[in-house]
Amino acid sequence: MKRILIVDDSAFMRLSLKNLLEGNGYEVVGEAENGLVGVEKYKELNPDIVTLDITMPEMDGLTALNEIMQFDPNAKVVIVSAMGQEANVRQAVLNGASNFIVKPFTTEHVLRALDRL
Amino acid sequence: MSGITREAMLEMFIYETVQLLEKLEEITIRSEQTKAYSPEELNELFRVMHTIKGSAAMMEYQQISRLAHSLEDLFHFIREEKPVEIDFSALTDLILKGKDFIKRQLTGFEAGTDHEEDSEVLVAEIRSFLEDLKNPKTLPEETGDPAPESDAPEQEESLGIWGENRRYKVVVFFDEDCQMEEVRAYALLHQIKDLVSDISYLPWDITDGSNAREIIQKEGFTIFFRTENPEAVHQRLLATSFLKSLSFEAVDKQESNPEVLPEEEPVKTGPAVQEADKVEQQKDEQHRDDHSVAAGKPRQQSFISVSITKLDELLNLVGEMVIAEAMVVQNPDLKDLRLDNFEKSARQLNKITSEIQDIVMSIRMVPLSATFHQLNRIVRDMSRKLNKEIQLEIIGEETEVDKNVIEHISDPLIHLIRNAIDHGIETPAERAAAGKQACGKITLEAKNAGGDVLIIIKDDGRGLDRDTILKKAKERGLIPQNNKELSDQEIFNLILLPGFSTKDKVSEYSGRGVGMDVVKKNIERIGGSVTVVSKPGQGTMFVLKIPLTLAIIDGINIKVGKTCFTIPTIGIRSIFMPPEHDITIDPDGNELIMLRGECHPILRLHQFYKVQTEKTDFSAGIFIMVEQDGKTACLFADELLGQQQVVIKSLPNYVRQLKQLRGIAGCTLLGDGSISLVLDLSGLLDAFIAS
Repeated sequence: MKRILIVDDSAFMRLSLKNLLEGNGYEVVGEAENGLVGVEKYKELNPDIVTLDITMPEMDGLTALNEIMQFDPNAKVVIVSAMGQEANVRQAVLNGASNFIVKPFTTEHVLRALDRL
Repeated sequence: MSGITREAMLEMFIYETVQLLEKLEEITIRSEQTKAYSPEELNELFRVMHTIKGSAAMMEYQQISRLAHSLEDLFHFIREEKPVEIDFSALTDLILKGKDFIKRQLTGFEAGTDHEEDSEVLVAEIRSFLEDLKNPKTLPEETGDPAPESDAPEQEESLGIWGENRRYKVVVFFDEDCQMEEVRAYALLHQIKDLVSDISYLPWDITDGSNAREIIQKEGFTIFFRTENPEAVHQRLLATSFLKSLSFEAVDKQESNPEVLPEEEPVKTGPAVQEADKVEQQKDEQHRDDHSVAAGKPRQQSFISVSITKLDELLNLVGEMVIAEAMVVQNPDLKDLRLDNFEKSARQLNKITSEIQDIVMSIRMVPLSATFHQLNRIVRDMSRKLNKEIQLEIIGEETEVDKNVIEHISDPLIHLIRNAIDHGIETPAERAAAGKQACGKITLEAKNAGGDVLIIIKDDGRGLDRDTILKKAKERGLIPQNNKELSDQEIFNLILLPGFSTKDKVSEYSGRGVGMDVVKKNIERIGGSVTVVSKPGQGTMFVLKIPLTLAIIDGINIKVGKTCFTIPTIGIRSIFMPPEHDITIDPDGNELIMLRGECHPILRLHQFYKVQTEKTDFSAGIFIMVEQDGKTACLFADELLGQQQVVIKSLPNYVRQLKQLRGIAGCTLLGDGSISLVLDLSGLLDAFIAS
């Protein structure tokens, strides 16, 4: 079972993703409410996949992505972002994000974005 | 969504969104006064709207999502472009309108409707405000046209360089509704970048705009490139997610030449992509710098939210524990025994239980800041409507009170603030005539005073009019018959009586038939009190004295026959044993007592609650004079047991169903394990006077 870390500042989003993933054969091993905590949790939990929001307080998703990639160049990071964030998503792809999902997402979107990782 | 019900999701959604909205309002109103948004505040505002947009879309609340989106755009523009001339009050109006809209929907959802109002008008308003910001009428030039930046197509490199490599053409279609197709195309290029050379693609403008998105949706994304390893490229392309179809073919030179690609659609070349990347990386670095500054001061600690019912339960249990501890330590079996070690352990137990009690109480404490800040909004809206200039000063907003208390003081505070604005503060002209500053000031202050919290609402307005109040009170028959000279203080207190309202006309804000008496009643319901101080021409001050917590009160235990009662200390004026001759009986047979020249009725508790006791003679028992809502009575009881903090518990259901108990607020356990009934003085006095 793939182990997932969810990083998003919205508790609602985390809950949504968690439900969705746990209902579809993934194990959510951790949640983080900002990039800073996200990076820490990554180091601690070493998850298979990270879902990463971009707009977050303390440390945004792009910075967190860079730190995670630095720590683990093979990290599988899926950006979860919203319309209007195209430039940031592009940047994330350049910096090593494995895939991205656009909010509002459907179960199918999320599963398809994750199933090849 | 699987696993969890929509109700649970909705609850979370509402909870979080309400918090975000409060943050939004706080920042907005603060910024209206300072006429500037700091970068952190803009980030915060942007994030608030961003989150609401996303969450609402997930819950399929399109109207909220659209509205949040338009506000997000607005904040984004202000953050990025830093327009100089912003009409802050119009902007604030707009933001608050948006906040109100969302709040209204949330209230609806909470009440069980799932229907949203149409946000279109508001969205249009926000968009047009944004347009005005983008195109200030004073500076028509220089805006509109987008800067060429690095998107300018570079010269295509000569094809000859790559010699033996074969050239390929790939057309990719993505899944419908996979969203952000142009970014997916971009990611796809990134995937194969290291395997290919001499890359060109259509549409070329995948880094800016929805134009490319549409073309990719309709015609697919076309890439030309050279490679020595087509198989590897193919594999990587196939691994792309959301891929619907892929055609991969080798082409020869002629076909791939620019004649396929029309002149006016210049092909972006490989080096240009890298160039663009560099620019974006620089931007990103700047961006990151901004953030590291903001991250310098940590704003949030780690919090968890706990359901209030669990906290209530915990508090209850701690109450039980305090009682159980008293029962053990003061156990009658231990009487007259010398138990040194036991005493020692008991002291330790006592120390720990009282620490736990403190902690549990502190968990339930919530700062007043949210309650106070909602008043900002009222001051702002009302002063605009009434054309008064008013500044609200908030002091001590970090003061904490019990969660239950907060719920009860919100309405009284709103009422008092409205009164202060409507009746207290004068118009700028009147103020000028009185030699005051044009801008009125309302001070809202909270502070701790022993076991109570004082909330002070002070205005520097015209003050209470003694004569008008007196006249009104006489008209309404609120002044007692023994008409003696009333002190100013007594006259001001008249406004707290039911049925008193000096305004004949009902204005939009204050005087909706709810008077100060309701404020008083609400505050007293949570064991607090209200006092008024006023000086003509200098202003009025209301002081609300509120207990830190509701569940545990100071009480005096008394005994009547075999029954114990607990009287809240706050209602007790004095405890005494009067000389026989002060007690008289009036012609109707009512027993009265003379105390400092005033007559008070005597309430025999044993009679009232039909308790068997031997002490029916006044000289054998004790009197407790209590006062509540301006009514007084002297309770007659057998004896005084002592004073202690008690945990109030509501009466068991079967007792309440059995009969209507008058004047009992609940019950509590005493240290020796016996049950004591906690008196509700207000109910008791009402019932007594009625009988």
